[in-house]
Amino acid sequence: MSSAHPLTDGEIITISFRGQSFAPLISGALYWPAHETLLVADLHLEKMASFARSGQFLPPYDTAMTLARLEADIRLTGAKKLIALGDSFHRDEGVQTLNAQDRTRISQITGSLDWVWIAGNHDPSVHRLGGLCVNEISVSGCLLRHEPERGGQGLIAGHLHPAARIAMNGKSTRRPCFVWDDNQLILPAYGASTGSLNILSDAFAGLFNRSKLQVMVMGRDRLYPVGLNRLVRG
Amino acid sequence: MTALSPIVEDWFSAKGWAARSHQLDVLAAERAGHSVLLIAPTGAGKTLAGFLPSIEDLIATPHDGLHTLYISPLKALAVDVARNLMAPISEMGLKIKVETRTGDTPAARRQRQRFDPPNVLMTTPEQLALLLSHADSARLFGNLKRIVLDELHALVTSKRGDLLALGVARLARLSPHVRVTALSATVAEPEILREWIGAPVAPRPAVLIHAPGGATPELSILASEDRVPWAGHSAAYAVPDLMETIKRHGTTLLFVNTRSQAEMLFQNLWAINEEALPIALHHGSLSVEQRRKVESAMVGGNIRAVVCTSTLDMGIDWGDVDLVVQIGAPKGASRMLQRVGRANHRLDEPSKAMFVPANRFEVLECEAALEAVAAGAQDSERPLPGGLDVLAQHILGLACAAPLDADATFAEVTSAWPYREVSREKFDRVLDFVSTGGYALKAYERFAKLRKTPDGLWRIANPQIAQQYRLNVGTIVEEPMLKVRLVRARGIKKGATTGPIGRGGRMLGEIEEYFIDQLVRGDTFMFGGEIVAFEGVVETEAYVSRSFSQNPKIPSYMGGKFPLSTFLADGVRRIISDRDNWRALPDQVREWLELQAFASVLPGRESLLVETFPRADKHYLVCYPFEGRLAHQTLGMLLTRRLERARGQPLGFVASDYAIAIWCASDLSALIRTGRFSLDQLFDEDMLGDDLEAWLDESALMKRTFRNCAIISGLIERRHPGKEKSGRQLTMSSDIIYDVLYRHEPDHILIEATRRDAARGLLDIERLGTALKRIRRHIQHKPLERISPLAVPVLLDIGREPIFGEGREAVLREAAEDLIAEAMGR
Repeated sequence: MSSAHPLTDGEIITISFRGQSFAPLISGALYWPAHETLLVADLHLEKMASFARSGQFLPPYDTAMTLARLEADIRLTGAKKLIALGDSFHRDEGVQTLNAQDRTRISQITGSLDWVWIAGNHDPSVHRLGGLCVNEISVSGCLLRHEPERGGQGLIAGHLHPAARIAMNGKSTRRPCFVWDDNQLILPAYGASTGSLNILSDAFAGLFNRSKLQVMVMGRDRLYPVGLNRLVRG
Repeated sequence: MTALSPIVEDWFSAKGWAARSHQLDVLAAERAGHSVLLIAPTGAGKTLAGFLPSIEDLIATPHDGLHTLYISPLKALAVDVARNLMAPISEMGLKIKVETRTGDTPAARRQRQRFDPPNVLMTTPEQLALLLSHADSARLFGNLKRIVLDELHALVTSKRGDLLALGVARLARLSPHVRVTALSATVAEPEILREWIGAPVAPRPAVLIHAPGGATPELSILASEDRVPWAGHSAAYAVPDLMETIKRHGTTLLFVNTRSQAEMLFQNLWAINEEALPIALHHGSLSVEQRRKVESAMVGGNIRAVVCTSTLDMGIDWGDVDLVVQIGAPKGASRMLQRVGRANHRLDEPSKAMFVPANRFEVLECEAALEAVAAGAQDSERPLPGGLDVLAQHILGLACAAPLDADATFAEVTSAWPYREVSREKFDRVLDFVSTGGYALKAYERFAKLRKTPDGLWRIANPQIAQQYRLNVGTIVEEPMLKVRLVRARGIKKGATTGPIGRGGRMLGEIEEYFIDQLVRGDTFMFGGEIVAFEGVVETEAYVSRSFSQNPKIPSYMGGKFPLSTFLADGVRRIISDRDNWRALPDQVREWLELQAFASVLPGRESLLVETFPRADKHYLVCYPFEGRLAHQTLGMLLTRRLERARGQPLGFVASDYAIAIWCASDLSALIRTGRFSLDQLFDEDMLGDDLEAWLDESALMKRTFRNCAIISGLIERRHPGKEKSGRQLTMSSDIIYDVLYRHEPDHILIEATRRDAARGLLDIERLGTALKRIRRHIQHKPLERISPLAVPVLLDIGREPIFGEGREAVLREAAEDLIAEAMGR
């Protein structure tokens, strides 16, 4: 039941931001071809494991799921560099609770490319998993960090786990999304265990210039640009 | 002849009564050391039958401590039975201490009851589980003589019944000579219940005793002057007739299937209640105080009619009810028989009941139910194998009481009827789940809840685990609810999507979160007796504004909890398929069937009629399996998947208790005619293989089922002192947990529990499987030029019932196309 689509079928969908061209992926990663860099936000590794302390034994497979996604995206894009925009671990302690298998996978990735770990509010501490731990990093006029902020200029961030609820003909569906204007771009949360927050909720108030706002939602097997008039709360 | 003690004998003669034969039979069986299943209709003196052996035993042998434990599904019933028992005890001048213990009992008294128990304690399955989780349970129950289980038929088909069975198995181990007396309404297979109560107290088998039934009920179907509508569930056409009926009777109970039907009927009755007769409303979403007020007014005889849902299906004898009215689909024969029995206040007088169909298919269903009830036919559900989630909860509870021995515990839990077939391997997996989550990947050993002591017993790792267990005990999982608050509308301003919603209005009540989830701003629905417009969700509240529209856009009917029973479905098919059965039907319904026979064909008793026809710019496929709404929803989901693959281009479907309608962009009649498409293949049983798997993977119903299992099993918590999770957060996280678990360990014990529940619950896969087998190679295809008479009610349901379909992705695609159209200047 697919129909040909002039804007999105047969060619790579792109996001233009601050004069740079980015390719959003169906997984929620953002590829930056000019720098051969893959951007991901909010992996929240070891989130399920973090509940064990309080007696809730959630399936300890979210880390493996997220890493598998990451490996696939790296293969797909051939990225030379990976920048994780903070909250890569659900808690600092997650670095210790990693099982041997997941730890090996991470070191295989850090062995094959440059992994830049930006600190987030969930994982502020420096660790020794390989790659570089920083608070923020500047690339081609863009500032990459964990949290967006009001009045930010050229910020690429995560933190908020953006999602959009789209209403059409009396039906609605809610999906994670990329959201940006001329000044800031926020990536969806990448981790398998992450929830999401509607971009119409209070947490996003004042971050974007509404008249310049753009939204790209993640469908089952492709991305969809969506007009603001279709967004609803909830 | 069973001899009564002089005290009891004197009491009977002082009252001018004599003990009934079934009361004496129960006593005799008990004295011989047997457990008993007593099947008796309402009003047969069940309470006395259940407790006479206790009274006799306590007169003969004074007993220190707890002698009899009574368990009822309802708090209110426990309190009421206690009152009914205390009266004869005090009239006989006996010193038998009777107390109740429910969630409402003050903490101090509950504490005291554990070390200074009464002789007879009246409680619920959940309270029993709590009592059993304490270290002193062995002392408390060590000398227990009798267990009395009330309304057992209602408990055994749910997870509460599983929990109760495990609790009784434990009691039987703590007090090896304990006997069980169970009281039940009439059921389809009493043998199963007899085994159920006998299993844990073997070796002596339980005895089955039938109390004589009452007079045959007087049943009728409302013969209205007005036409029965084609579709809908409100029965608004019958309201004037109902008002007249209420006037003619002392007290009338009006049963409906859903809360929203109750609200609507209550409103409609009051709109024409010129004499201001006291007519009340009783359903589960009303506050407890409101419900108690109605109940006491009924007992006091101050009320003429009560509009109610299943909340009044069982429990206390509510004074004198002269007439029971069932409005809308009866759904099942046993359910109806029990409802009819609510008017049975004197055994020798017939109960009087009236059916009021709300639409034409329901006329057929009411006719089938009337025949079934008159013939005393039973179609009650049979108890199912026990839930593994409940077993997990119980094992943790046992470990909280004392370190447990795996072998002895396995023997104990498999003595409970629902768990009699659990293998040792499965039991060990559940134990492993309780201890560390039961994952193939051993990640949580160091956080284990249960640790093995040097002498090989499983002990809880720390006392907090027992505290946590007690907060999560029970198998009733509330649907996540949102508070509904009335606010000022935002008005229709351009680009107002992010404008602030007016805050702080009146609270209207609570509504299920899944209902709100499907709404978008501006959608109207009926709530608390008025039509409101949805404004948005703010934290855990749904904001609504007053609407001036006449008809709510979004239906809140949702079909009620129970699907049409297999037994009644067969009755409906039988009535339709044979003209001889049409004589009792109202003229308009008979004409409707005649018209169907003329314009299309009648559905056969064993075959499946499939009609295809064009309408407006779409092509419809309508089929009539009569297998109930849940199985139809599942079938609809699977059929649309297969139609999509077969290039039928399905756009959506709607399912009722009787039929399914699917609409497509492709001309199905032409595809079938030219042999490019086969209905036999479409309806092949193999849909329950890969297609079902693929759908389960993303099904919201599976996730809802999983959430229940996850809470009952203790994987996720209900609540925690201080940091209460809102239902909303809980749902979100349990969905993610399901996704991760299903993908990585699809044979995990909780996924197994979820699949089992879904197969028999929300998805009704078992019934669908049986139906597909039945209709195999019996599909009768009828291509038509236009809609058939039988299809009209189904198509009218579009817009009333929720519509399913591949929908979700289409929303995104359409929204994106919309943006492109805008970009290209339309």
